[in-house]
Amino acid sequence: MSWYRLLAGECRAILTNPAIVLIVFIGVLFYSVLYPLPYLREIPSEQPVVAVNLDGSQLSRRLERFIDATPQVRLAARAASLDEARRLLLARHLAGILVIPEHFGRDLLLGRQPVLALAGDATYFLVSSTVLEGMNAAARTMAAEARAGQLLRAGVPPAGIGEQLTAVRLNVRPVFNAGMGYVQYVIPAVFVLILHQTLVMAAGILTAGQIGDRNGEAAGYWRRCPPWRLLLGRCLVFGLIYTGLALYYFGPALAMYGIARLAALEALWALIVPLLLAATAVGIVLGRLLAQPERVTLVVLLSSMPLVFASGFIWPETAIPDALNQAVQIVPAIPAIKAFILLNQMAADPAAILPLRGQLWLQALAYGLLAWWLLGRGQGLPSPGRQQPT
Amino acid sequence: MAPVLSQLGREWRLQAADRWLLALFGWLPPLMFALIWAIFGAGLARDLAVGIVDLDGSTLSRHLVRHYDASPTLAVTHRFGAVAAGAQALRSGSIHALVVVPAALEEDSRHRRSPQVTVFVNSQYLLIGRLVTSALQQAHATAAGGVDAVQVLSLGSPSVDPAAVVTPLAGQLNPLFNSGMNYARFLVVAIIPALWQILIVAATVMALAAELRKGELPIWLAPAPLLALAARIVPGTACFWGHGLLYLGGVHGILSWPMHGSWLVLAAAQLLTVVACQVAGILLMLLALDATRALSLVAAYTAPGLAFMGITFPASDMTPLARGWRSLLPISHYIEIQVGQANYGLAPAAMLPQFGCLLLFFILVVPIAFRVRMLRSRGAAVESRS
Repeated sequence: MSWYRLLAGECRAILTNPAIVLIVFIGVLFYSVLYPLPYLREIPSEQPVVAVNLDGSQLSRRLERFIDATPQVRLAARAASLDEARRLLLARHLAGILVIPEHFGRDLLLGRQPVLALAGDATYFLVSSTVLEGMNAAARTMAAEARAGQLLRAGVPPAGIGEQLTAVRLNVRPVFNAGMGYVQYVIPAVFVLILHQTLVMAAGILTAGQIGDRNGEAAGYWRRCPPWRLLLGRCLVFGLIYTGLALYYFGPALAMYGIARLAALEALWALIVPLLLAATAVGIVLGRLLAQPERVTLVVLLSSMPLVFASGFIWPETAIPDALNQAVQIVPAIPAIKAFILLNQMAADPAAILPLRGQLWLQALAYGLLAWWLLGRGQGLPSPGRQQPT
Repeated sequence: MAPVLSQLGREWRLQAADRWLLALFGWLPPLMFALIWAIFGAGLARDLAVGIVDLDGSTLSRHLVRHYDASPTLAVTHRFGAVAAGAQALRSGSIHALVVVPAALEEDSRHRRSPQVTVFVNSQYLLIGRLVTSALQQAHATAAGGVDAVQVLSLGSPSVDPAAVVTPLAGQLNPLFNSGMNYARFLVVAIIPALWQILIVAATVMALAAELRKGELPIWLAPAPLLALAARIVPGTACFWGHGLLYLGGVHGILSWPMHGSWLVLAAAQLLTVVACQVAGILLMLLALDATRALSLVAAYTAPGLAFMGITFPASDMTPLARGWRSLLPISHYIEIQVGQANYGLAPAAMLPQFGCLLLFFILVVPIAFRVRMLRSRGAAVESRS
């Protein structure tokens, strides 16, 4: 059988399989819009908080204004007591509570170190850290003012105060995702996972569908060529289709959301090629082993969430149990997610991702050999997976 | 009663004969829940790698670095001679933050020129970056506060209380409803329900697919198709409700995470959620008429569920379109009930809107009935032709 007929057969099999068309051509495009959808507003801002001002002094109202002026928080309500504030928080879905204690203004002037209570609803981790950050910033501004006042009253010359109150300041500069945006955080990783998962599904569905002679074609094109050719042909066809999709994902799709694309094109290629080969081979292996297209789809679908959380971009790898960390290393998506983020969002030197690239090539090779063996073993024979369960 | 029971018994035997369905109904969901818990089991991140470029090498700079290293969240793992080497390590992901102590830090501080230590934090991994930032800020405040107090004393004004000058007012941070800002608690109780939703919808499709594969008469050609569909999903309802309760019992019972609300309300919400997911699953299967295609629809529908639930990113900050999609997912309504009960301990009556939303999913029975009628007439046409 000629290469031409093999490739034509592959293309026809892919394009005439509605499930594959749905996943590869419609799904991948749809996902590029759906996944960023919840995060389009990037960072939670102007979260509503309730103030319990037990003082009422000039200074306490000044603090309230400082808090309202931060970008993170806005003062949405006032309450007379902590209990009322808690009730309001629950009833109106507010994000936090600020309690200004009695005699706040007087204590501040007298240097008695009043204590502000700042509370954020930690059910929502991101919101609560935003709220606490905003209220804390306002409290720091207030503290700086108070400190200057105290020193002045103590007779320290104004020239000795100014900025120089804190002996050593800390200047925190977020890098790579300077705006601390959620899209830039989640989407680069999720896009890699989408490419990986849909490719594994598609190659698996195609492979599983060609086991036995369920299509009534006793002599399908896939039976008339040696397994190594079928393997290469399948990798080539899916590789070309996914090259197009990868170009879309790593190009206009990332650009559309304003996500950094710092990698050089050659460096991206050097990752895309082994990723696509490995994922296609994993798909063929799964297709052969699971023997039914819907089982492939199910397994890939169920694996997605554990893979996201085991991939180390949400929860540090060092905090995940070692056994789990090692177990997921067999999935191409794991090194791929890490490598693409390092290259594209963090501008790592290509040398830094060499081990990850090596891992991807190793996976491509290992799964390729396994796929070759499985394709050869099952060819022409009814597969064990087709036996009815007893 | 007896015919109903025997029908259910038949359904159960039919579905239990399929090893895959048996796994979905039995051991697989608890195993996956345990896996998620295992990933986040540590609860708090410890010893996150930090690199130091100490261009000063003074007593003061060593004092600061010791304080950073002493934070349980941080560990100073790398020291670099130059900023360039440190930046490279930060870019290659081997450290989460790079602390740069400028030259002449100690001298500038002694002359009250208020020098600053600059920290570059990798915020690409947003939540890890936030943990590192707040740990560094805390450690720095402790370390620098001591230095400030000495300086205030050296101003030589007897009427100044150094403590009051260093911290004129204190902020006491109280995370509500999740003491200690436990990361596991925050994420696990959102991830497991999202996973649960995927499992339920997918299992419903698999349960309906069992007979299509065997080439038997499809269920919509049964004498009473809607009843037959109902009987088909009941075993799944029981199993997945059981899994849901197992999860609740696991986190609030065995792990004893606080539970402020009513178990009864939560159990009822879970039952409604299971059925709502199953109804959605039936509709997807009837639309696709093929298990693989239906499952790829299930993937599109449920896989991004966690992002839309509003726990990781607030629903109030989503665009209207995102909120629209969110409301189409049963789990978004369930999670509001879960948070309202387990975290806030709200009165059951406050949960009525969410219960109403879950009940609305029963409207899907109408398109299901339409679709069944369509398929029946199509099936009849095929039969009459053959």
